[in-house]
Amino acid sequence: MSESRDAAVAPGSADSDPDGSEASDAGASAAKEATGAEVSEATGAGESDATGAESTETATDRERRREVATDRWLGIAGAALSLVGLGVLVRQSALVLAGAVGVGYAVYARAGDAPPPTLAVTRSVSDAAPEPGDEVRVTVRAENVGERALPDLRLVDGVPPGLAVVDGPARVATALRPGTAVTFEYTVRGARGDHEWEPLTAITRDAAGARERVSDLDAPTAIACTPELSAGGDLPLRGLTTVHHGRVPTDVGGAGVEFHATREYRRGDPLKRVDWNRRARTGELSTVELREERSATVMLLVDARESAYVAADPDAETAVEASVAAAGQAFSALLDGGDRVGVAALSPLDCWLPPGSGTVHAARGRETLATDPALAPTPSDERFYRSLWLRRFRRRLPADAQVLFFTPLVDDTAATLARRIDAHGHLVTVLSPDPTATGTAGERLAALERRQRLRTLRSAGIRALEWGDDSFPVAVAAATRRWSR
Amino acid sequence: MRPLTVAGVAAVAAGLFAALDRGIAAAVSPTSAVVTLLGVLGLAQGVRYVNARRDRRQLLTDPGEPERRAPATVPGSALDERIAQVASPAPGGYQSRRDLRGRVREAAVVAVARDRNCAREAAAEAVDDGTWTDDPAAAAFFDTRTGYPVRVRLVAGVRGRSNYWYGLRAAIDELERIDGGEP
Repeated sequence: MSESRDAAVAPGSADSDPDGSEASDAGASAAKEATGAEVSEATGAGESDATGAESTETATDRERRREVATDRWLGIAGAALSLVGLGVLVRQSALVLAGAVGVGYAVYARAGDAPPPTLAVTRSVSDAAPEPGDEVRVTVRAENVGERALPDLRLVDGVPPGLAVVDGPARVATALRPGTAVTFEYTVRGARGDHEWEPLTAITRDAAGARERVSDLDAPTAIACTPELSAGGDLPLRGLTTVHHGRVPTDVGGAGVEFHATREYRRGDPLKRVDWNRRARTGELSTVELREERSATVMLLVDARESAYVAADPDAETAVEASVAAAGQAFSALLDGGDRVGVAALSPLDCWLPPGSGTVHAARGRETLATDPALAPTPSDERFYRSLWLRRFRRRLPADAQVLFFTPLVDDTAATLARRIDAHGHLVTVLSPDPTATGTAGERLAALERRQRLRTLRSAGIRALEWGDDSFPVAVAAATRRWSR
Repeated sequence: MRPLTVAGVAAVAAGLFAALDRGIAAAVSPTSAVVTLLGVLGLAQGVRYVNARRDRRQLLTDPGEPERRAPATVPGSALDERIAQVASPAPGGYQSRRDLRGRVREAAVVAVARDRNCAREAAAEAVDDGTWTDDPAAAAFFDTRTGYPVRVRLVAGVRGRSNYWYGLRAAIDELERIDGGEP
């Protein structure tokens, strides 16, 4: 795809910055320096060297984060002063003169000021709606639209935390005269979710490197990565069903394909259901009843608390990613089987797609699983309140709904919630991606505790399935053989 | 530009000018005591700057690694940090040690109850009196009446680690063996 989405640039004055020398040190309060936004076409052509094009851009919104003295020249000032002092004490003019040279350097270091980065920044992406795994080329162009030269400029792009850069650093170091521009490119690999770029960080220093100014340049850019849902095998459900015809075998006799029981013949029973063998043996008329198959209402509950963003390796996919992928497969499989399916998240953010069916509902489910903020690739900063969440979840959950709970089970909260939901009559099946490692003592203990939680759930009558290196459908197929209704 | 910087620049300029033009230098004739005082002040200020530089690192901004995806947490990494805190033989950290021991004990009771197919109370008793394992270091980790084996004490002393740390590792090893690894 060649579609591109451009960043915004802001009109208006960008040089309203106060005198940098009066700014406080680290931790200075941020000050908004320009406002407003409009969208403009990116003009980055892929070159990484400065160009001398005439400036027609306006400065990007800039927010000062801090301005500090770097203390780079503090040592030479001390050495120079020591030499001068020593020369005066011993009455040696050569020492004084040597020290004076050092003092000159120290003055040079203190005389400068880190210039404000009055830049017009544009960011473009090669594909704003990639598939997971696709590589997206990102081009960032920054033009110095101010009147001052930037002798030492470092730009570090705010790559979304859920994306990894696979080619090229997302940063550049250069010097820019007024009217010149720099362009740099890098490639990210698409991953599920909405990904919004954070502000680009601009670090400017004076020529001596003695003072430094850090600013954020806001150039909004986002990509949305929505994976296709693929059915993940025949997921066995538990015996809590609706009154509608479906595929879940029940303990109710009626129409179906599997033998359930025989009963005394009643007038009106179809002849094909009469047990003629028994009639031949005993002379009694009896009717064969088949196990009635009904549809189920299923809520897919994904554990997306901060504690669920775990993996066996810091760079590996988190358990939330594995859970969402598995929930997507279950969603498709259950919809295809005629069941009503909904999506919810065990998260501080609200996520609720009520159970439903049909193609429109399938599209909504895909969208929810891909881009809902509660299921984002990185955890929310909000605090999770278990009791409040459970109360709201129970209030919304239909009475005949069963729950497929996707959780890594790395703490007791998930296991407790599974038991409480099950105790309230909503049959629960726990589906757990294994995120544990076995390298250190702490990791081994965490893995042991997780195995014990799984056993405790099973002993409480809750179905529990885990998958690690195996794919989710393979694990489901293996578990189905040992599960009874 | 700061006033002090201006004054400094002016003073240095005047000094250099005086060094070039002896006539100006001759016009200013400070006493020996004043010159010595200026020398001492300069030296003291220089030494102060050098000392300040020695204690401080450059305050250059670290932009981090935006190219790297936000790292995931590995289950047990927080436990490892706590275990590292109690690895030292130095006294202290009693609360951390007690919390860790309580957590491992809970896992041990569940594992022993399952392994021996006995009640939780019986398993807790076996864990507390050290009969749950043949490993003396693992047994001593929960049984405070029994000391750690001499071998463990020697190794811990030589390697500069606490007996507690060796007992903890032995207990987890033993738990894994009992558990069998199958959920």
